[in-house]
Amino acid sequence: MKVSRRDLLLGTAGLTVGIFFTPVPWKVLDDVSVWTQNWPWIPQPARGPVTTKLASCTLCASGCGLRVRMAAGYPVGISGNASHPLTSGALCPLGFAAHQLNWHPARLREVRHRGRTASWEEARAAFEKACAEGPIAVVDGRSGRAASRVLQSFAVRHSGAYEVVLTAEEKALLPYAQWAGVPVSDLGYDLENTRTIVSFGAPLLDGWGVPGRFTHLWSERAAGAADPQLRLIQIEPALSRTAAAAWHWVPLCQGTEGLLAATLAKVLVEEHLIPAQGPLPPASLTEAATQTGLTPTAIRDLAYSMVERRPTLAIGPDDNPAIAALNVLLGSLGTPGGIVRKSSASSATSQISTKNVTPRAVLIDSTVPWEYIPASGIEVFRFAAWDGGGNRADWLLPSPGFLEETTDLPTPPTSAHAVYGIAPSLLTPSTELKTAAEFLQQIDATLPTIEQSIHMRCDAIFRRRRGSVHGAKPSPITGFESAAKFEDALRAGAVWLDESPSVTPLKCVLKAWPTGNPAHTSGNWANAWAPPVLPTLAGKLYRESSLREAPQRSQS
Amino acid sequence: MKRHFLVFALGFALALVAGWVVFPRVLYSHQGQPVDFLHKTHAEKSGNADCESCHAFNADGSFAGLPQNDTCAGCHSDKLGTSPAEAKLVDVYLKTQTTPPWLVYSRQPANVWFSHSIHVKRAGLACADCHGTLGASDEKRLYEQDRISGYSRDIWGHSISRLRRAPHDGRTMSDCEDCHHKRHVEVGCFGCHQ
Repeated sequence: MKVSRRDLLLGTAGLTVGIFFTPVPWKVLDDVSVWTQNWPWIPQPARGPVTTKLASCTLCASGCGLRVRMAAGYPVGISGNASHPLTSGALCPLGFAAHQLNWHPARLREVRHRGRTASWEEARAAFEKACAEGPIAVVDGRSGRAASRVLQSFAVRHSGAYEVVLTAEEKALLPYAQWAGVPVSDLGYDLENTRTIVSFGAPLLDGWGVPGRFTHLWSERAAGAADPQLRLIQIEPALSRTAAAAWHWVPLCQGTEGLLAATLAKVLVEEHLIPAQGPLPPASLTEAATQTGLTPTAIRDLAYSMVERRPTLAIGPDDNPAIAALNVLLGSLGTPGGIVRKSSASSATSQISTKNVTPRAVLIDSTVPWEYIPASGIEVFRFAAWDGGGNRADWLLPSPGFLEETTDLPTPPTSAHAVYGIAPSLLTPSTELKTAAEFLQQIDATLPTIEQSIHMRCDAIFRRRRGSVHGAKPSPITGFESAAKFEDALRAGAVWLDESPSVTPLKCVLKAWPTGNPAHTSGNWANAWAPPVLPTLAGKLYRESSLREAPQRSQS
Repeated sequence: MKRHFLVFALGFALALVAGWVVFPRVLYSHQGQPVDFLHKTHAEKSGNADCESCHAFNADGSFAGLPQNDTCAGCHSDKLGTSPAEAKLVDVYLKTQTTPPWLVYSRQPANVWFSHSIHVKRAGLACADCHGTLGASDEKRLYEQDRISGYSRDIWGHSISRLRRAPHDGRTMSDCEDCHHKRHVEVGCFGCHQ
């Protein structure tokens, strides 16, 4: 039988049609898609025993509790530690993705001097030369740590200045610290006893303060309720995540938060909603209405809402003195549900010594956010685990990344409860990485070591015999036989929590209504992180999941 | 016209044979386990048919997975019989403290986190709900590996068309989703892909 061209074409057509009645196209398509996900150059976690370790996040001062899933000795997954006394299992998106940061393309692994590769010896020689030529400024991002003690000691011994870069939450407490004459690190918010919170743009439900603390309160007392036990009034120009979930959202014109706070204070006093004490702001309701974009009636209604359920607490996103003065008028300073002083056990903070002299060089710790810009004309030694870019640094010095160094965690900025934890090092860092404290200790061997400082702090807490230790299960500190065992528990991921602070009045005298209205800045979790350094997973989590919120809600 | 139809039908039939018969045989490679192991024999001889006696949970609730050499050595510290497989286990692996490179039929890829503890202890699933009758099998089953994806055949399921499958056959993402939907347990992307 002769096979014609037409036969071939028809046979091929039959084959082509027939193949679609088999699993071949679908199975091959599925397999090829899987194959493209498993190319040999894509890193894969090592196969090995899977264990879970408790740890603490060191990416910011909050020190959230972590449960780290380790495979063959490497962290491959992170979730919140539900037994942590402050965070209760919640994390910010960056915390969930933090184990990926050590492999980030922007990771610093070598010393760089003005764009070229250099050595630690060169950096050390340059720093010693700068120390010999003039005063040195040492900049810390989180005071009160054992490493901070090293940095501060070096600055003091070498006639330099020790400066702490405050977080947005700490800046918001700055006016009270100045007026009451107490260190800003001694102040915290007693959110648990507040019934109405007036937020002037602070992202309370989006990473403000310690993640999980407010979201837990919110989910327990307010979420979904028409008349919640905890009222959140969000005053903000944009419908942010916090504004969308708040009990009441008040949209106002950008930059008029201070004016609105002053006007609210005046209305509260004039309508006899609060006792008249201290100076009154020179604000006019009509003018405030024009500038804020709200009606006079809306401002008056807002004032009534504020005092309907007290205690009331006003929170600003930064050091806006008008918002702080509103709190003073409301009597929210040193009272339950307001701004309170932490217990004495937390007062192991560094004294900030700033000298008004231009330093010869500045050493910046890796805890300082990339948005910090040092003075021009001085030599900059910048420690960092990741190159955040956009910052002038003569020396970029690679420091340990996530979970690569042992560090202690003092009380987070906004917490009224004193806590102390130790973030254990779960990974062995490369010998090419050094912390700023290690670098300074190599120059001055008489400086205190981090280990010594941690021992001393644990010993001091243990001797007070106050509070409880929150590991897998909470237990009183009196149940520990020795300071060494207490320290071992902290190194295994447990956190010490002091007893609830006894609220003591804070004397705060306002001689005149404060002026000044700083530009609005939002202080959410992503602020301190340059966009190039954010892992993709963090952005995806932020947009698509509710994992960072209270765990009970995310599971429902 | 009749000839044209026959030629087309021939091509069609060839495609069906190639797709349904030849393709599955070509797609999967076959490998034997490092040591021939029979679940049924072990269950009968040890008098313990409980999966957890070998595939135990750790004290913290996490799943230990495959038994370690210590578990095997509990009975096979020395040879009990004359089986060549047992001789290989004892001489090659147990005496040299080497873990046999078992080929795991149901191993999920690295981008999936699966907790046996949650599924067994919290959801109350039986081992057979996912692993079928593997625990009672008396066959020396070969490990079949997909030549393109590199996955075990058990992930896709034994049926190449995924039609008329046994309830436990297949562990693809859609299988997980189907089971979760049936049980009204919603899990987002990051429940498994953490």
